[in-house]
Amino acid sequence: MGKILIVDDTLFMRTLLKNILFSGGHTIAGEAGDGDDGVAKYKELKPDLVTMDIVMPKLNGIEALKAIKEFDPAAKIVMCTAVGQEQMVKLAIKSGAKGYIIKPFQAPKVLEEVKNVLAS
Amino acid sequence: MKEVPVKIQHNNNWIVVKMGIGDDRIILPDPFNKEIPFRTVDDIAEKKNVLIITVKTDTETVYKILSVEKVLQVLKKLILGSCNAYRLMAYFMSPAIRGGVMIKDAQWDKGSVVVVSTGIWFISATKQVCVPVNDVAAIEIIKRDVQGKSTDVIKIDHLDSGEVSSSLVLCPLSTLQVLYNYLKETTKSMDMKGTELDSIEQQVAMLVYSGMDSHAIENMLNIPHKQLDGIYDKILNLGLGEVVTIRREIQLTTKGVRYISDATKSQTN
Repeated sequence: MGKILIVDDTLFMRTLLKNILFSGGHTIAGEAGDGDDGVAKYKELKPDLVTMDIVMPKLNGIEALKAIKEFDPAAKIVMCTAVGQEQMVKLAIKSGAKGYIIKPFQAPKVLEEVKNVLAS
Repeated sequence: MKEVPVKIQHNNNWIVVKMGIGDDRIILPDPFNKEIPFRTVDDIAEKKNVLIITVKTDTETVYKILSVEKVLQVLKKLILGSCNAYRLMAYFMSPAIRGGVMIKDAQWDKGSVVVVSTGIWFISATKQVCVPVNDVAAIEIIKRDVQGKSTDVIKIDHLDSGEVSSSLVLCPLSTLQVLYNYLKETTKSMDMKGTELDSIEQQVAMLVYSGMDSHAIENMLNIPHKQLDGIYDKILNLGLGEVVTIRREIQLTTKGVRYISDATKSQTN
């Protein structure tokens, strides 16, 4: 079980992820509504894992991922992506993301990916 | 003509018959006594190891044929090659993308695309893939890098074991648009305007997809049970969902209250 930071610009998606992660026994380290805040919260909270949306205001998910990896190369970041964003996923994996989950979320798949990345 | 033993459904029972397979027809012996030319087959679908073929002559007859994979493969190849369907030679990649990510080592197969009323079949020397029309989520023409050239291809998004996968079709530009139009027409029954659900109803649908139960949805969206029930009715009426469980809420009778009171007493004494 891990301490997780959720970075997503929509409250609905954050709440949904929070519920799914709670149901899997994880704790929520914190939430951020944009990439900039996500990087700041990572530095402050040092979570075990980050779920990172890709399309966000201020700093997008890929930029935030790079900034976090620069600060902590061992950071475990799972990208949240929509169907059809395969190029973005490729770029994110190249930039150091450990995994990805697809929107709309399916609880078992989210929990499986989080478990795999936490164990890696 | 070759003969193979198969099971065919007859009056809701499976019976074993020796079916004759020719180049252009199958022959079903007693009790069917039917010759079925492949060109009269109007639809073909597959569920596990059962092939469902719909034959249209003066009347419409559905035959369910159960056999081993090897026999079904031969049957599918022969029927799909001659049945009453939209068919064209094309390159395809199915599936090409799973869960939003390109499948490793996915390659173009040379073969044909056969569109029948219940499904889109991709056929090559080594593959027989069917995408049921009911599982098609979207069809669009996109640009794809093919041998270093940006090329128009048709992308078919479909559900595969609960996950969105995409298949790609590549054919000459002149036929690409015709195929696209035909596929759009075939899957028209699945189209929605996108305005059928308001934002809260869309959120409920998404939460259902995510595996949340009624109680979790009510809490997350802060809506009363009655409102959620109304939204469920709308989702059901639009054919977007189906009832899997009916959960009951109860209250205790006087007898029940007495039982609980007694039980509590005995625990605290």
